[in-house]
Amino acid sequence: MKHGDKHFTVSPNRRDFLYGLGAGVGSVALTSLLQGAGSGKVHHAAKAKRCIFLMMEGGPSHIDTFDPKPELTKMHLRKFSRKGEMESAMSSGERYFVKSPFDFIKAGKSGADIATEWVHLKERVDDICFYRGAQVESVNHPTACFQLNTGNRFGGDPAVGAWVTYGLGSMNENLPGFVVLPRTSYPQGGAGNWSNGFLPADFQGTPLRPTGSPILDLNPPKGVTANRQRKNLDLLGELNQMHRAQRPDRDDLDARMSSYELAYRMQTEVPGVIDLDGEKESTLEEYGIGNTKTDAFGRKCLLARRLIEKGVRFVQAYAGNWDSHDYIARAHGSLIQSVDKPIAALLKDLKERGLLEDTLVVWCGEFGRTPDNGIRGGGQSYGRDHNAKAMTMWFAGGGVNAGHTIGATDEIGAEAVECVHHIRDVHVTLLHLLGLDDNRLTYYHAGRHKQLSQFGGTVIEDLIA
Amino acid sequence: MKKLVLPFLILPACFTALVCGEEVSEGEKLFALHVKPLFAEKCNACHGDEPEKLKGDFDMRTRESILKGGDYFAEDVLVPGEGEKSFLYLTTTRKEEDYEMPPKEADQLSEEQQWWIRDWINLGAPWPDDERVALIQKKYAEGEQVATSKALSDDWQNRRYESGKLWAYRPVKTTKVPEGEHPVDWFINRKLSEAGLDAAPDAEPHELVRRISFGITGLPPSPEQVSQFKKEFMTDAASAVVDFAKRLMDTPHYGEHFARHWLDVVRYADSAGFANDYTRPNAWRYRDYVIRAFNSDKPFPEFVREQIAGDEMDSKDPENLIATGFLRMGPWEHTGMSVFKETRQMWLDDVTDSVGQTFLAHAMQCAKCHDHKFDPVPTRDYYRMMAVFSTTQFAERHAPFLPGEQKAAFAESESWVNAKLNGYQEQQAALEKRMNSQRKKETGEAKVGDNGLDPGDEASLARMKKNISRHKWELDRTRPIAYSVYTGNTIPKKNVGGRTLLPKKGPWQEGAMEQDTILTGGSVYSPADPVHPGALSAAESLGGMAKRAFPTGKGKRRLALAEWIVDEKNPLTSRVIVNRVWSWHFGRGLAGNPNNFGGTGAIPTHPELLDYLADWFVRNGWSIRKLNELIVGSEVYRRSSRHPDASLVRERDAEESLYATFPPRRLVAEELRDAMLAVSGELNRQVGGIPSRPDMNPEVAVQPRQIMGGTASVYEPNSNPESRNRRSLYAEKIRGLRDPFLEAFNQPGPDNSCELRETSTVAPQALTLFNSVEVLERAIALADRLKKENRNQEATVERVFLLVLGREPSAKEKTLCLDHWNNGIADEEGIAYEKAELPTRLTRTVMAEKTGEPYDFIEYMPTFETYKPDKQLADVDASTRALAHLCVALFNSNEFAYLD
Repeated sequence: MKHGDKHFTVSPNRRDFLYGLGAGVGSVALTSLLQGAGSGKVHHAAKAKRCIFLMMEGGPSHIDTFDPKPELTKMHLRKFSRKGEMESAMSSGERYFVKSPFDFIKAGKSGADIATEWVHLKERVDDICFYRGAQVESVNHPTACFQLNTGNRFGGDPAVGAWVTYGLGSMNENLPGFVVLPRTSYPQGGAGNWSNGFLPADFQGTPLRPTGSPILDLNPPKGVTANRQRKNLDLLGELNQMHRAQRPDRDDLDARMSSYELAYRMQTEVPGVIDLDGEKESTLEEYGIGNTKTDAFGRKCLLARRLIEKGVRFVQAYAGNWDSHDYIARAHGSLIQSVDKPIAALLKDLKERGLLEDTLVVWCGEFGRTPDNGIRGGGQSYGRDHNAKAMTMWFAGGGVNAGHTIGATDEIGAEAVECVHHIRDVHVTLLHLLGLDDNRLTYYHAGRHKQLSQFGGTVIEDLIA
Repeated sequence: MKKLVLPFLILPACFTALVCGEEVSEGEKLFALHVKPLFAEKCNACHGDEPEKLKGDFDMRTRESILKGGDYFAEDVLVPGEGEKSFLYLTTTRKEEDYEMPPKEADQLSEEQQWWIRDWINLGAPWPDDERVALIQKKYAEGEQVATSKALSDDWQNRRYESGKLWAYRPVKTTKVPEGEHPVDWFINRKLSEAGLDAAPDAEPHELVRRISFGITGLPPSPEQVSQFKKEFMTDAASAVVDFAKRLMDTPHYGEHFARHWLDVVRYADSAGFANDYTRPNAWRYRDYVIRAFNSDKPFPEFVREQIAGDEMDSKDPENLIATGFLRMGPWEHTGMSVFKETRQMWLDDVTDSVGQTFLAHAMQCAKCHDHKFDPVPTRDYYRMMAVFSTTQFAERHAPFLPGEQKAAFAESESWVNAKLNGYQEQQAALEKRMNSQRKKETGEAKVGDNGLDPGDEASLARMKKNISRHKWELDRTRPIAYSVYTGNTIPKKNVGGRTLLPKKGPWQEGAMEQDTILTGGSVYSPADPVHPGALSAAESLGGMAKRAFPTGKGKRRLALAEWIVDEKNPLTSRVIVNRVWSWHFGRGLAGNPNNFGGTGAIPTHPELLDYLADWFVRNGWSIRKLNELIVGSEVYRRSSRHPDASLVRERDAEESLYATFPPRRLVAEELRDAMLAVSGELNRQVGGIPSRPDMNPEVAVQPRQIMGGTASVYEPNSNPESRNRRSLYAEKIRGLRDPFLEAFNQPGPDNSCELRETSTVAPQALTLFNSVEVLERAIALADRLKKENRNQEATVERVFLLVLGREPSAKEKTLCLDHWNNGIADEEGIAYEKAELPTRLTRTVMAEKTGEPYDFIEYMPTFETYKPDKQLADVDASTRALAHLCVALFNSNEFAYLD
């Protein structure tokens, strides 16, 4: 029996009542609804149709991953100081320049710089465009994360993924357009990092939680059977139907009724998406699933591929925490290990499936790290502090200038000096690759046409093939 | 598109040769009044202001340079006489793909603006010189100039505004309402009849009773209130409504509900947000101040003065200190990583904007970097207003508890915080002992040594220290302290991680007085022209306010601003608050954007009514209670949400702004939760007090939440049901940890001011209302209550309808529900349920910063030592459980969730 269908006819007349979870789940023709809400079509020929955003929360060090600084080896443990009104905890007290504990090689045909810790990724550098010119404005995690994710460092605005799904709509009416794969502990700033901001609630990132129920309250509480739940739902349908009959012009009430049926269907649909049982043993191995070190992020990477295959527009996967103020050799070493194999497998897998050419893969953190370090808490083990002026991010797939390294930082990695762009220009470029024009992807709110870049930005042409 | 390849034509520039006094052509008029200013506003930033950096090598500073064209268009840019063929016009229509001008959609030209260009070209594209332009503008200009403090540019200073968009700055105008007419009805019905529409009849009494009860108190009516109201309504509808509303306004729940509205606007929260998300242990006293203000019907000017300048009026009065918490309601933090000058500026920007939006419906931030794009608000006004706050400093100040303040849960809170602290301190001592025995002198290359410690332990120690300091600060919650401010010099700080005291040597001894200047581009590192404290100059000039001199130096700047705001001649203040109150009753403002009365906000649908109410409000002692009585006493308020001729209404009132019907609405997040608690009998109706910690989705409650230097303590609900089951207004509002139930139902985030709640319909709402443990527990409590009332089955179903929906069930509904119940009993019989276990210790896993590896630790949760759970499935019999399932369905019904 198709439960309750007669009760839940859909009359999608009102734009503000979209259905579903994030961009919606269910058998309703959501694509058209979403297109009604967003512009639903690209502004120019798109190089990529979807995006996987690998978010290295905490701020990975560019100096110890993809931006070698031999000069620092010479300056190692020389004293450093900064004074004046810009002084903060990160520039006061005894500070030393610190060399990278890692060796670097020039990998691939492109000769990209990469720390040898990246055992697997070094095989894929020819698919990657490294970028060393980006800068942000904040040295605190939540504000920098907000700026990277939403363009506004004070939070409250829509995330990149929300903008993209708003602009492009969903490719699968049964899944949300914007899915987040967070770590068990949420980043600083929490769910504000995948907020819909002022966009309709449907564009909010839907987190698939790594532990417990993947979606909150997906199933009835303990002690309530599926049978009982179905009967409660049928009664609800009948009560609502009688109430609705007296209010012939209230489409919003229909939308609410439908949302219950959609929620009910999700209970069976969501587990099917996240269950990796159907994957080959060799695939699981490639992604590092089953190995304690790589299992968590391996699952996220594989899930990301599965989600985009099913039509999800924007997947953001979190890894971390890269905030290595001390013991950078050990901490970054371990973190690199935990993501290296999964990311390399993802790039290879996407390529073999022909998905890489129209999938944009982004790797970055909220900021880079400093070439120098202070002595913290009496300890002497070295690490690096936060650096908003220099970082490395990289792009692969969908139309990016693969095999090139764009921009440069100064000789100690303190500040970007070539092809320097504010993070907003990275956002504009990202939208551009997805066929969206930041200046036209706007939403009227609080008296202004708002946009991801806040007040407009520039496409970084060098990043594009 | 073709590149420039042909030599271009040069037309004789004969038009500029005209001398003054000659007849002015239509084309010249168009140019001087519209086209030239339009070019300046929309085009010249890329095509002329910076001649070195012309986009597409196209220069729009002169007619000749336009005719010359650029990289992409040549002679086809401007073909005098041929508007439709000129790309100067065509690109503005945005139909030329990839050549839409201006490029930003946000800057797109209106159709009228596009036509100015087209028509000007059709008229030969004349280009009179500056002198003549000035003359033409003087003679023919439409729109109004507005005198303001002083713009950054002359162009802006001389700008003209569409008269209609300046409505909010003009003096309040009063229209005479005929004797015996209710003003609300008279203004609303006039527009309705102009549209040829009849008003809907009165709503049914059972609909009205819910509308009034939720509208005034945010709570459902009790069955007794329902029957009394129905009886009175039969005798006299109008007075029944007003009397019921008055009775409700006599209960403290009125103040609670209206405070909730106000707290949305001011972004109330119990934590600071960002990296540490520190508790603000005394913020609750501000929340209660707002409740008291509404319940005592504090005249609005007092309410304004106290919040902006209470300490400057009389700092001996604790109420005044508590009220100024308003100034610090936004998210703010200053960590060791941040630069003081910048975080100080963050607050100055925040408070300037917040005061602007809250009291004057002006988003001041729009004028921070440049003169306001649409409104007569120069950047100078922004910095004048900011200068009011440049001597305002944070302090947690001694403020003895007032007789009416709620202290009931103090002991419970203190014992929980102390238990939490003890738990951490014991763990810390043990860990330190172990670490001390393991610690080695670092060896090897300097600064790279191995200290012999488990980095997970090191991280754990840091986490404990951090949480100990956080909880210690929480002990301030029950102390006589106000989250407040004082006036004095600015004293730089390294970081703020605890109570901020008044400076020992007095406010003017240490630190320095800030220099008040315009900051170029909004940057704290680019001071420019000095400014004096002040406010919105357009409100003074257009509103006819007497100029007030704001003090400088050590003077009471904020008090001066408060007096300026509540000046009876201030055209904005009374309109703004009256419009808010209207929107709280009707779900929409007479002016559609209660936070934005500028040119980009919605223009009032009923300007005369808005003005009438603003004037009436001032004449009636600025009493919000009286204003409520006036509004609910109208026929408009009583109207049914259904119209006999709905299709005609839809046709003639597509904007839904004529009030032919009363706008139906969904309950807001807090109302939904409070209503379930109220009907289940669990609601603790105590008013005010320290924040309550309700049960929250357990997965969210225990989820590790990163803060600077570690992981925040797990969320622990109160152990006593009476502390948990309080109104949602009292639920501790932690910026970094939103309650997923409230969030799903559109509770706004506390970072931005919320002028009106939104209503979206998404599946997570169905999931949480249908599947969550919290809702099931309310249903069990309600079923248990009903069973204890000991009625027969049929009467029980009647009773549950009355409680949940405020009416009796129909025969069909009764049958359905009885069947459901009995079917449920059959299903439930013989099933045994287990009680949920509530361990006091929880293993949590986080990533250790120094290793990048997971690290487990155990957290002690003292709340579960004494936790008294709400009724669970295991506690009740099959019949009660089956009845609870009926209650779940009713809680989820559209009728429960919506008000007619």
